[in-house]
Amino acid sequence: MRECVVKVNGQIRRTMIKDNELLLDLLREELEVRSVKAACWRGECGLCTVLLNGALVKSCLVLAVEADGGEVTTVEGITKNGELAPIQKAFVEHGAAQCGFCTPAWILTTHQLLKTNPHPSEKELTEAVAGLICRCGTYNQIREAVADASKAYEGARRAPLRKG
Amino acid sequence: MSFGSPYMTLPDFTYHRPKSLDEVLSLLKEHGDDAKIMGGGVGLIAFMKERLMSPGHVIDIKGVKELREVKHTAGRGLRIGASVSISELVEDGVLRDDYTVLHEALAKVADPMIRGRATLVGNLCEAIPWVDSPPALRALDASVEIAGTDGRRSVPVSGFIRGPVDIDLGPTEIVTALEVPRVQGRRSTFEKFTAGSEFSVASVAVALWPEGKKKGARVIYGAVNSTPVRCEEVERLLGEELTRASVRKAADIASEKVECMSDVLATAEYRKHLVKVITVKALGRLLWK
Repeated sequence: MRECVVKVNGQIRRTMIKDNELLLDLLREELEVRSVKAACWRGECGLCTVLLNGALVKSCLVLAVEADGGEVTTVEGITKNGELAPIQKAFVEHGAAQCGFCTPAWILTTHQLLKTNPHPSEKELTEAVAGLICRCGTYNQIREAVADASKAYEGARRAPLRKG
Repeated sequence: MSFGSPYMTLPDFTYHRPKSLDEVLSLLKEHGDDAKIMGGGVGLIAFMKERLMSPGHVIDIKGVKELREVKHTAGRGLRIGASVSISELVEDGVLRDDYTVLHEALAKVADPMIRGRATLVGNLCEAIPWVDSPPALRALDASVEIAGTDGRRSVPVSGFIRGPVDIDLGPTEIVTALEVPRVQGRRSTFEKFTAGSEFSVASVAVALWPEGKKKGARVIYGAVNSTPVRCEEVERLLGEELTRASVRKAADIASEKVECMSDVLATAEYRKHLVKVITVKALGRLLWK
């Protein structure tokens, strides 16, 4: 066991971890951030996606110890002062969730995309979400939500994402 | 947490995050076979979950500065450090222009999240028959730079991959970088056929460059056999000319000469057909570009 200090959604969290613990388990079980979903455990479905030091990662393929001293953002972290991010509102308006299990990962991923590229082409959107699976198949509604939210992200363009 | 399934938990190991190559080598000297190098961890973590690997020590090399660099030099070409992510390479404009075949192969690897973590060196070291970096690297005559407790050495990618999941790397050695020579006027491209996943059923990496009055050529097929297959007959033909007629001829020769395997994805016969198709596509692209 070793001590691990991670900033999760702006809050410093201290906990003891094992060397062989996954970031996914640290977030869900130790820190109780349950929006991070555990589904395939092998990097295929992307529902455990979080931002680690500014880069999207599948947390089932990252060791918890790698986040020590770093910063993790989950879907909760993109809500500012109780106000939903534009993409979150668009997901609600377009019914872009059916069972909702994959929604946190989709919102986080599309939010990141729109921040750097507010008007992604069809190809760019498809490529950006290639690592995610929606088992209910709400892809069309997600596409509509992204198109709808685009305008709100104009001017929010930032430098390219840092590497994880 | 654990549900007790091997797919969800990792075996016990001690995590190391050395800051220098010397530290890596002393860890390897101490633990040898019981240690595994981790770059992005994408492959290693998956293998550990399935208990295909259960190392007692995991050495994370992301903290070693000299392994993180991509260097372009006019004379020597491209040097890619062991912990450079595939994303970083895909975003590199020089790679896209001067090492196109590698860029095209890497741009289609998995998805953006995986590419952001996975390293090219890790991808190569897995030596899995259906991944795309080995044929692309071979088409560019890349070599592997290795450091060990007994010194440094360099081997061409062709010799480095000895067989499926079998590489020329000792238990106290680490791949530090890949070196890819820059060739003036070289054009290259990558083509692959997949069946429902990103993994290739057949792929081809082609490079052509001016060499006196003739042309130099490398034509390497991936995923058709347990290791990449070079087709020198097609290379000789392309050295002479690249025309519509020679593209057809090259495809026929490749289909005849390239030895293909049968596995769960496809039969050898089907792969021979695919070899023909992807050869036409790849050479056609070079011809018309």
